[in-house]
Amino acid sequence: MSEQKPRKSAEKKMPKAFGWMAEYQDEHSLLAAARKVRDSGYTKTDAFTPFPVHGIDEALGIKPTVLPFIVLCAGFTGLGIALLMQWWMNGVDYKYIISGKPFGITPASIPVAFELTVLFSAFTTFFAMIALNKLPKFSNPIFTNPRFDRATNDRFFLYVEATDKYYNRDSVKELLGGTHPDSLDEVLEDTTPSTLPRPILLALLLIVVTGLIPAMIILNMRAGYSTAPRFHVFFDMDFQPKKKTQQPTTIFADGRIMRPQVKGTIARGQLEEQDAFYLGYDPSKMTMLEKSNSVMLVSAQTPSDGNAPVAATKTPDANQTTPAPTVATEAPKLPWIDKLPIEANEESMKLGKLKFETYCSACHGYAGNGDGLVHKRADSLAQGYWLPPTSMHIDRVRIQPVGQIFNTITKGQGKMASYATSLSPKERWSIVLYVRALQRSRDANIEDVPAEFISTLDEEPKSASPKTVSTK
Amino acid sequence: MNLNYDKASIEIPQSWRAKAPILFSAGLILLVIGMACSFLAPATGGDNTPALRYLTHSYLANFVYVFSFTLGALFFILVQFLTRAGWSTSIRRIAEILMTMIPYLAILFVPVLVMLFWGSSALYGWNASAKDMENSVVAAKATFFLTKEFFTIRTIAYFTFWILAGSWFFRLSRQQDESGDTELSMIRQKWAGPLIMIFALSISFAAFDWLMSIDADWYSTIFGVYLFSGSMMGFFAMMIVISMLLQNAGKVQKLITVEHFHDMGKFLFGFVMFWSYIAFSQLVLIWYANIPEETNWYRVRLEGNWELFSYGLIPVHFVIPFLFLMSRHIRRSRPLLLSGAIWVLFAHWYDMTFLVMPNAGSAEFFPMFGHFLGGIGMLCIFAAMFVQRASGVPLVAMRDPRLPEAMSYANPIL
Repeated sequence: MSEQKPRKSAEKKMPKAFGWMAEYQDEHSLLAAARKVRDSGYTKTDAFTPFPVHGIDEALGIKPTVLPFIVLCAGFTGLGIALLMQWWMNGVDYKYIISGKPFGITPASIPVAFELTVLFSAFTTFFAMIALNKLPKFSNPIFTNPRFDRATNDRFFLYVEATDKYYNRDSVKELLGGTHPDSLDEVLEDTTPSTLPRPILLALLLIVVTGLIPAMIILNMRAGYSTAPRFHVFFDMDFQPKKKTQQPTTIFADGRIMRPQVKGTIARGQLEEQDAFYLGYDPSKMTMLEKSNSVMLVSAQTPSDGNAPVAATKTPDANQTTPAPTVATEAPKLPWIDKLPIEANEESMKLGKLKFETYCSACHGYAGNGDGLVHKRADSLAQGYWLPPTSMHIDRVRIQPVGQIFNTITKGQGKMASYATSLSPKERWSIVLYVRALQRSRDANIEDVPAEFISTLDEEPKSASPKTVSTK
Repeated sequence: MNLNYDKASIEIPQSWRAKAPILFSAGLILLVIGMACSFLAPATGGDNTPALRYLTHSYLANFVYVFSFTLGALFFILVQFLTRAGWSTSIRRIAEILMTMIPYLAILFVPVLVMLFWGSSALYGWNASAKDMENSVVAAKATFFLTKEFFTIRTIAYFTFWILAGSWFFRLSRQQDESGDTELSMIRQKWAGPLIMIFALSISFAAFDWLMSIDADWYSTIFGVYLFSGSMMGFFAMMIVISMLLQNAGKVQKLITVEHFHDMGKFLFGFVMFWSYIAFSQLVLIWYANIPEETNWYRVRLEGNWELFSYGLIPVHFVIPFLFLMSRHIRRSRPLLLSGAIWVLFAHWYDMTFLVMPNAGSAEFFPMFGHFLGGIGMLCIFAAMFVQRASGVPLVAMRDPRLPEAMSYANPIL
């Protein structure tokens, strides 16, 4: 109600006026005043309140913002980009078979499309809101009035800007005066000097200069060199009374600080490296080989791809009964064991069948022909470029000793992955047993058929099959 | 604030009460005609009871369709008290009336139980005798959980809880109409939390029992939420339709403002999205994992002549209502919001059909036409029950302490 006197300095210099600002005690008077101002036709108005006031937008005559439409467009853009990207990546540019799923847009593309829609919308909302509000704005002439500080606390302000096309200094003053404000002030240009105070300037300069010191030191050190020894802050940490690996010593007679293991030591977790049951070959026979141990060990520890070409060069004389498999090829053979380390009974055969059909049949087929479901699907997709899984019934596999088959399951071969983590050694050996049984089933003599079943056979099979492989 | 209403303006229209018996009879007749249509189904594949299967599946789908509105109402009431909401006070009574329709609708579930004890496995395959069951997984489930006795016990338990909770809240609300005691609001606020937890369990298990066990080999842990999301969506659509019809009949004119319609529209929009999110979540995991016992449920729906229908769910239940209800201007326009709500009511029926009917057999014209008639019949019965239940009850919680807040509520302009 009482109009505050303009400050003396403002009177003297006649600063620029930006409009009128009225102050109110509560939101009801503010809303009433805002409606009055709106009804008088003013549009360049604003209200400042300590909390959101319901209905203020309507009272000020603020039109709905265009922001939602901008966000909608951004959302559709994100959706489109996501779908286009996935169609291009997975459907055109880099077709990659994932669990036999189709290429291009699939239900799995929807989460990514959703995420990009939200991402584009969220960023657009944020930045468009900043832009539409003309932010950032470091100062506003309304801040020059010290009473305005209470806008964040307990007072309500209504501001009519001078840029309004109907603005007239006296009529706006009269209009706002008629709404019974607590105070009514003209918003004036900030006339306080805009230069930085000297102490702050000095402090800033000091900070900048201090900040340069580390950079200068580093530059100096990189450019120059020093002959002085390095300064050791913690001497006893830099020079400790101990020996490191590979260092000489005078303590032991052989002059080495590293001590060999006591004879017969088996390191924790290395028991499995000593036993044919876990390896498929007998490590104790390694020394009897011509080649050095290291070469053998490396070939045993890597996937057994290297054996394949050697086996392929073998004479295709299929009619000849192969003798003991280990001597049949001249490969860099490991001392594969050719006797199953597990008992071949019904239990292990059942286990082997179960595990074979669970893990192996997907590629190798239930009968071991190398025609599993994965092969059929991949063959139809890759159209000739697919390398089929190995059949259990080709010569190369038939002559392999059991230890080598075990090693293939354990280490993997070619595209086949290692199954060591999925199958225990016992299960792997059971599979080997089952594979042997599958091979035998193609190559059986009439003597192998139990007597009570012979009468059920349709016709007499040939007396002797050309190839026999001992299951042992 | 002292609120005085013209008593006639907050009662159900007299003309509606006169029409209720007609509506009820018409609904029953439609239901029967719809069932009769099932008998025109062609018998396929050596199955000599296709009519029985179409008929029972259709009945269950249409029952759950209308029943889900009342479940949505119960949840809505509980949430309003849990959050101490003020905006909804003027529309709350309509939801409360919907909520108290549960005992009436429970009667409509009796035929399903009768059918179980009659020994029919046309709807629930697990009700067949053990030696007839080819599927060992279903046979194992049918030894304890999916037996007709335990199924009935559970169903009675769900209904008991819903009826007790609903009628108790309704009684307190009616007492407040007389006394205006704020303590009655406090009691409901205190108990809304525990009840909502039991509600969540009950609707999940009801969804598992009634709908998921139709294909007892299949399972989806999100299925309860799926039914819940659709129920809430259907409920808000039903609220909008009822409120608008009441206002068009000259009732509750000043109590329900455009702000309330705007808010119900927002909820409707939100639950359209929520349903889509849940439905897609269920699909994408099953699609990606590609495990036979899970994918079979979708295989039935995405093969043969169900394929087009099932893919239709995407535009009908998501794209069209999502894009339509997105705009604030549409949600604030009475005719547009009403048409949106009616569309969503149809979409909810479409979804219920999608959930149940493919298990009955392929989509043949006559059973599906009968199913549609049955759906309209159920809606008629539902409307008659609503009028019956609303008779003699004020359509607004007159002396709720939050009513003034609800009436002065306004959405901010965005």
